[in-house]
Amino acid sequence: MLKIIGKREKRVDALGKVTGAAKYADDYNLPHQLYGAVTYAPFPHAEILAVNLTKAKALPGVEAVLMAKDVPGKNYFGLIPNIPIIAENRVRYYGDALAVVAAIDKATARRAAELIEVKYKELPVVTDPEQALQPGAPLLYAQGNEIVHHKVRKGSVARGFAEADFIIEKDFSTQSIEHAYLEPEAALALPDEQDGIQVIASVQNFYTSHKVIAAALNLPLARVQLLQSTLGGSFGGKDESATLLAARAALLAYKTGRPVKMLNSREDSIRQSYKRHAYKLHYKWGCKKNGRITAMEMKAVADGGAYCSMSPFVTWRSVVQATGPYHCPHVKSDVYAAYTNNNFTGAMRGFGSPQVNFAIESMMDELAERTGKTPLEIRLLNGFENGSLTATGQKLQHTVSLKQALRKAAEKAGFEAKWHAYAAPGNRLQTKSRGIGLSCAYRGVSLGAEGVDAASAVVHVQPDGSINVAAGIIDMGQGAQTAMAQIVAEVLGVEMQRIRFLQPDTVRVADSGPTVASRGTIMGGGAAKIAAENVKNILIKTACETYRCSNEYIIFENGTVYCLAGKIRKPLCEFDELAAACYAKGRPLFASGTRHIAQTSWDEETGQGNAYFTFVYGANIAEVEVDNETGKVDVLSFVSAHDVGRAINRSTLEGQIFGGVAMGVGYGIMEEFIQEKGFPKTINFDEYIIPTTMDVPEMQAVIIENPDAKGPFGAKSIGEPALEMVAPAIINAIYNATGKRIYNLPANLEEVLLGRKLRRSAPRASVTCKINAGAKGK
Amino acid sequence: MTYHRPHTLQELQHMLSEYGNNMHLLAGGTDLLVEARRSYFVAKGHIVDIFRLSELKTLSEDADKLVLGAGLTHDDIAHHPLIQKFASLLSAACSQIGSQQIRNRGTIGGNLCNASPCADTVPPLMALDAELELLSATGSRLVPVRQFFEKPYRPRLAENEVIMALHFKKLSAQQKSAFYKLGRRNAAAISRIDMAVVLKTNAQKRIEEVRIAPGSVFPVWQRVAQAEEYLLGKEANQAHFKKAGEIVARRMIEISGRRWSTPYKEPVVAALTKRTLMMALTQKKSSDT
Repeated sequence: MLKIIGKREKRVDALGKVTGAAKYADDYNLPHQLYGAVTYAPFPHAEILAVNLTKAKALPGVEAVLMAKDVPGKNYFGLIPNIPIIAENRVRYYGDALAVVAAIDKATARRAAELIEVKYKELPVVTDPEQALQPGAPLLYAQGNEIVHHKVRKGSVARGFAEADFIIEKDFSTQSIEHAYLEPEAALALPDEQDGIQVIASVQNFYTSHKVIAAALNLPLARVQLLQSTLGGSFGGKDESATLLAARAALLAYKTGRPVKMLNSREDSIRQSYKRHAYKLHYKWGCKKNGRITAMEMKAVADGGAYCSMSPFVTWRSVVQATGPYHCPHVKSDVYAAYTNNNFTGAMRGFGSPQVNFAIESMMDELAERTGKTPLEIRLLNGFENGSLTATGQKLQHTVSLKQALRKAAEKAGFEAKWHAYAAPGNRLQTKSRGIGLSCAYRGVSLGAEGVDAASAVVHVQPDGSINVAAGIIDMGQGAQTAMAQIVAEVLGVEMQRIRFLQPDTVRVADSGPTVASRGTIMGGGAAKIAAENVKNILIKTACETYRCSNEYIIFENGTVYCLAGKIRKPLCEFDELAAACYAKGRPLFASGTRHIAQTSWDEETGQGNAYFTFVYGANIAEVEVDNETGKVDVLSFVSAHDVGRAINRSTLEGQIFGGVAMGVGYGIMEEFIQEKGFPKTINFDEYIIPTTMDVPEMQAVIIENPDAKGPFGAKSIGEPALEMVAPAIINAIYNATGKRIYNLPANLEEVLLGRKLRRSAPRASVTCKINAGAKGK
Repeated sequence: MTYHRPHTLQELQHMLSEYGNNMHLLAGGTDLLVEARRSYFVAKGHIVDIFRLSELKTLSEDADKLVLGAGLTHDDIAHHPLIQKFASLLSAACSQIGSQQIRNRGTIGGNLCNASPCADTVPPLMALDAELELLSATGSRLVPVRQFFEKPYRPRLAENEVIMALHFKKLSAQQKSAFYKLGRRNAAAISRIDMAVVLKTNAQKRIEEVRIAPGSVFPVWQRVAQAEEYLLGKEANQAHFKKAGEIVARRMIEISGRRWSTPYKEPVVAALTKRTLMMALTQKKSSDT
């Protein structure tokens, strides 16, 4: 009987966040600290001919001006290490840094950054990933613009199409979007007493940042300590971009011997940071009249932008999941990523799945219409079941709950009846018409065949029975610390109040890989469970010796230790007494735990293999109202059903689901990071619009629990599943309301009304007029 | 930069004459603080904070007129019973500006002075034929709101002047009005298109009076006389409102030219003109449509 798992326990980080005591990176300050600033590239693609630092260096208050040549160690990092901390000879996008400055205050640092004089030769720009792969396109790198090409080959699509009664072939596109974390990137770097450096930063993947900073400074990892501050959101966004800022701060601190603070303004954050990949997708399905799919062929090209961040992994997830949770004997998928002079693109919640899910789930509704079936029927007909073979030839050997999720969601939303009613022509002729849309998806949990999958945690029971927990998995707002604390509390049979969670620190817990891929609970929670069990073994040993009770009869519950005698539970002592007894026997209650899962395989050539060790399944239903005179879409209500394996904390789980829906509404109907010829046009929240509370629908979470053998207490994932199928549910609902299908995200006013995007051809009046009117104003 | 806070109108007048060409006026600060990082902003020597000046926060009425202090916030106006009763289109507009936080701080005078083409208070004030009372060191003068704007972000306000109050006639029970705002999201939205109308019909449903004032449609605000003239004397119905909408859209293109946004705005301006006129006729709020 679980006591703590599954309950709505209060978050362990709640108090600090609601009182304001939580310290974000910019809240840390030190005496004599300097402020850093960046000189950005004025063009998206140019050769640097000459740089003159004289004026910047001469400005009173300037303590350091650094260029690429001043980086003592490695200036480049990344999966393919081509991201420069400071650009050298050439800039490839508008967010590249030419130089960094440290000065006694922010204004002086910014002024100095503006005084750096650079001579450039502008180079031709390529911004369309498909064009970037064409012969003759401007090259960003001598070896060509292709970052990666992933393939999946199963059966013979030629045969599959020959068997088909009809073929559906469509093109789709998805946009680039900004993570829009509330807290912009920030870091404080301080030289330590022993020629090392400490960095406090708002970073998501602090083990990666740690390695980049050490390599840049040419220091051993042990001499660089990275402490992660409380994060104000990340959504996959504080990897390389935040590393860039932290590394620059560290460089300046190391050079000047003084603490250096850096904080991005919102404009600089949006200008510099990587985005979600924009995709162009082509889908071709062969189908039988009865609705069965005989062949699925797809090709997608992702815009990788100027550097290689996570493009190879993002597009790999796309190719694995490119044909959705549907049976098909013949599959051919090709996903490319290409360099362009746009912002580089990388990890963002979903990580290559929202793009393909939009296309797959739109295709599914088209197939339903062609065969006279409802969206639910067509998915139930083709969807995966226990033991199904995926497109990569993986046999699904866990509870495959796709159809359970579909049925539960449909029932909750009253889907079938509404869908029929809204599809009636009378509805579609109204000024405002309603529609309902369905989507579903499956998702490989954690990193899969991307790489080594291991995470660690440390549990330290103090002599008074209070408990410190530290982990290599970080909390960026999703509730990971609370989930891990609940797991520890459950194992040790204590109340949550005993647990104090420690902030991540590179010297505290061994490299646990990145907190990405919805792996926090399954991997970090798994590690915390093992660490807690290791401590518990010491406790049990001591209890057995002290109270002469056999180890299999010892029970820990609500802070008390019992011995089970028949049906009677005999209390032995309190948890804190036992903890003290352990220390008295010279047995410190300190243990680490590591969860390692290695059951994946992959063949690059055929794209066949066991891509992920387990999968999750979900279904979403959106109900919308479309204003047919303005193109305005309101998402009225939303049902989001997910099999999470086991709910660790229902409140944080719902928080993840509701947050994912809100974010998905943005992706579906309004958000777009617009760039023109490599120049970003939406660099603050006046023009880059995200949903407000007034745009978020009424939401219902449906939590399904089929415990998984690989997860702690059976828990799997929710972070990314919550987002990845939201947009297609909305798009399918728009179709149900209007009879018009949206092929290009987002479904903004123009797209819905006209079926295309309109682009501002002149700067916004507020920009030109205000600067000209300038001095007069108010 | 020196910060000043006058306690009386007299003190304000003194500051206007003293610092007129070297100051920023600070009311709610919702526009000013956004500009504060720009170089032209810091080039000035003084900030005069009028936000707490009680003489700018008054609201008075006589038999046929309302006078609103320019320092009233959008939230004040959205909830004031007299404005809800006699100029409901203005309270409707103010209730949809920005977010609740912006409405708590932003003032109607500030919205006018900023003179953004998408300012949400201007279309209703145009439809109300409001006059602005401008105060300087030497006294005050009344200017019709339709003459107040030179071009986007450029009000006709002398350096030593401030908007003190807004005057307009109360709408009678027969004068129905409506306001509609279209944004890219449901709050904190910059208007794509605003529409404010006043409509009076006689017992035979014939239109006796109509005023149509769009926002984010023309570079400088204007009512659409051609559409108003077309409607006068006609029966108030969908078909005539639809035609009036087409006239508004045509005028937009005649005045602003064909721009990047025209393929969208042309049909939507027409549709929203019709919609807002229907709202006035049936006395529906935008939330009911």
